[in-house]
Amino acid sequence: MMQLKKVFTLLIVTVLAVGSLAGCKKDDGAKGADTNTVTKDNSKEDSSDTGEEELKEDTISVLLPPVTPTYQDNFDKWSKEFHELYPNLTLQIEPTSWEDVTQKLDVQVQAGSPPDIAFVGADSIFKYIDTGLLVDISNTATSEMLADFDENILNYYKKGDGLYGMPAYAEVHGIGGNKEMLEAAGIDWKMVQKEGWTYEEFREAIKAGTVKEGDTVKTYGFVFACSGVTAADYLNIFVRNAGMPDVFNENLKYAYTSKNFLKLLEALRALIDDGSMPKELSSVDAGKRWNMFLTGQTMITGKGLSVFERSAKENNDKIDAGDGSAVEGSIKTEYIILPVPTFFGNPISAAGAVDGYVCFRGKEEPEPQHLKNVAKAMYFLAGGEVSAVTCNDLYISPVCETGRQAMADVEIPEDKNEFNTETAALLVSKISEARPDITPELGAKAQKISDEVIVPKFQALLADEITPQEMYDAVKAAAIDAFGEDGIAVD
Amino acid sequence: MKSKKGPALQKKKRKNTEENRWGYIFILVPLLVFAIFTLYPIMDAFIISFKEFKPLKTEWVGFENYKNTLKNSLFYKSLANTVVYTGITVPLSLALSFLISILIVPLTKRKQNFFKGAYYLPAIASGVALSFVWKWIYDPLPSGLLNRLVALFGVDNQNWLGSSKTAMFSLILMALLSSHGASIIIYIAALLGIDNTYYESADMDGATFFQKLRYIVMPLIKPTTVFLLVTSVIGSFQVFQNAFLMTGGGPDNATTMVGLLIFNKAFKYFEYGEASAQALILTAIIGIFTFIQFKLTGDNVEY
Repeated sequence: MMQLKKVFTLLIVTVLAVGSLAGCKKDDGAKGADTNTVTKDNSKEDSSDTGEEELKEDTISVLLPPVTPTYQDNFDKWSKEFHELYPNLTLQIEPTSWEDVTQKLDVQVQAGSPPDIAFVGADSIFKYIDTGLLVDISNTATSEMLADFDENILNYYKKGDGLYGMPAYAEVHGIGGNKEMLEAAGIDWKMVQKEGWTYEEFREAIKAGTVKEGDTVKTYGFVFACSGVTAADYLNIFVRNAGMPDVFNENLKYAYTSKNFLKLLEALRALIDDGSMPKELSSVDAGKRWNMFLTGQTMITGKGLSVFERSAKENNDKIDAGDGSAVEGSIKTEYIILPVPTFFGNPISAAGAVDGYVCFRGKEEPEPQHLKNVAKAMYFLAGGEVSAVTCNDLYISPVCETGRQAMADVEIPEDKNEFNTETAALLVSKISEARPDITPELGAKAQKISDEVIVPKFQALLADEITPQEMYDAVKAAAIDAFGEDGIAVD
Repeated sequence: MKSKKGPALQKKKRKNTEENRWGYIFILVPLLVFAIFTLYPIMDAFIISFKEFKPLKTEWVGFENYKNTLKNSLFYKSLANTVVYTGITVPLSLALSFLISILIVPLTKRKQNFFKGAYYLPAIASGVALSFVWKWIYDPLPSGLLNRLVALFGVDNQNWLGSSKTAMFSLILMALLSSHGASIIIYIAALLGIDNTYYESADMDGATFFQKLRYIVMPLIKPTTVFLLVTSVIGSFQVFQNAFLMTGGGPDNATTMVGLLIFNKAFKYFEYGEASAQALILTAIIGIFTFIQFKLTGDNVEY
């Protein structure tokens, strides 16, 4: 009996010990082509591949967030279509949330086992390049693939000599207004959409749009989400129209040491001091400001995206239907895309958020054929039908020719505001030039200044705890520290 | 000449060895878990702290990461923030837990269980869900819950999480009101462990409630208090979640704690070497604090 107890105990201990090691398995499967071969089908292969090469089975792992509300619903369909197109290739898509995607990817990258493809914004790739795991696809993607994309947008993924991704879309980050309130404040929004507006005009407009009841503000003229890192969005979107379309000028000098940067900070602070923006702006997060827009607590909001027209419409439909899931206290609103005002006589330079697909390798040297297969999968996701469906969901136009062609087969949303469509197209054409000349090292240093100095100081400025001059001095000191006296713009 | 006790001793020794072996087998699982998930990462972090860690091209940099950390003003600011946060939350939290426990102990078993459950509830709730509730409470606009409450007392509208004057206070208040479930349960267990004869004897001597508290309860639960103090200080020095979810360390790094700084270094900038150096410096600081606490409070404590 004692012996049996001991054996039983030993068994439990063994199971628990092995269990504690579960999950430590090394999975190299996804990083190299399997050796199993399948029937040759050269007609399915890309023209650049040699007809003689063996078609090995290969699995391509992909990590994707919900890029649009319906994006992840299509994964099974897209995987099946990809497999039909390339019978030897399997697309293994892991869906994840926006909240988790960066952390999940970062941990996988640091462990040296990232997915083959991930969805990463063009302005976030510097740190991945620095790891050595982001693959330059200029030699693995075919010239036909790359020629399909709009050149300036594709160039957003060019850093130094390398090309590190294929764009899924280019979205303009701007601002948007409540049509009824804009008209009530006497703002000719159609003209603003066509011709833009200056900071002075914008300042007067949001003053006119601010409605008070006694001492309490009922409706602010303008509310931008500025809580946490979203404060960086506010500054990044507005700074482009103040003569600094990028963080480095054309001579690769750090641009935010220009006096225009100081004047911009003073101008943004003045909007709060006018009472047109809430003094608690530094605590308003993205959810709160959208809630304020839908409940009529602000006339103009930011950051604004084209898809907000759809979100506002959906809420209107819920209000009409008496649906309890409509935002509490919300009113019917029509979202109007507006350009960001220009400062000091500078031209419009729209903030383009270019997001897309990038290719990673693992610690082991990947097989060349595997990288070519990954490029095919990237192009499948970034071009053609997938691009059309994704962009249509986001109320924007594709940035590749095959995507635009595929739009003919996609159902366009009903009652889409034609003025918004035209303005969105106009603003996309004003997206600032890509800067492939900014090296990953420079980009990483600038990002660090943004995270460690600009965002915290800007939050303090919005909270009225430091002056624009103090923030400017802190940014300048950090820039000199990072780039030297010769590495900054002086005017 | 062999002793008569020889075979018996050998048999006993053999039995002991065999029992020891079974003892080791029994602790194999926790030992393995400790070795893999605690000991190995600590040793690895120590080695990484002397490197510039990259998945493909790690380089040995000597003490560079430690030098950079000690030159970084944000490290000192985050350390100061952490000390302020710990210095306020730990004593107040322990005092509150003790007070609540004293109020719960005289109740019936059923009522005790209810209050223990109620106070422990935040510990099992998701930190993210809790942070949403607190963000709603700290809504910066005049319509915000806390702002409406303070307005009743004539206090102006506050930008709770967005101003460096109130952001740290907001995090401390959040910690104070939602994190003593475990302390209360431990305090109640300690209070129930005090023999009733002490109170009876004190009653006969005519001791007041506060005299009983001062001369019976406090000394007898001192080991519990020291345990909670030490573990709370260690936990508080590692605080990360609230700052990460509520303020992101802002405004102007007013709520950046060392834990958040280490997280950002590692996962935002991929500077694992410097993050490891910071983590090890923090470990040393916690070790020193713990040693001092034991020296000051633990001399006459029996466990």
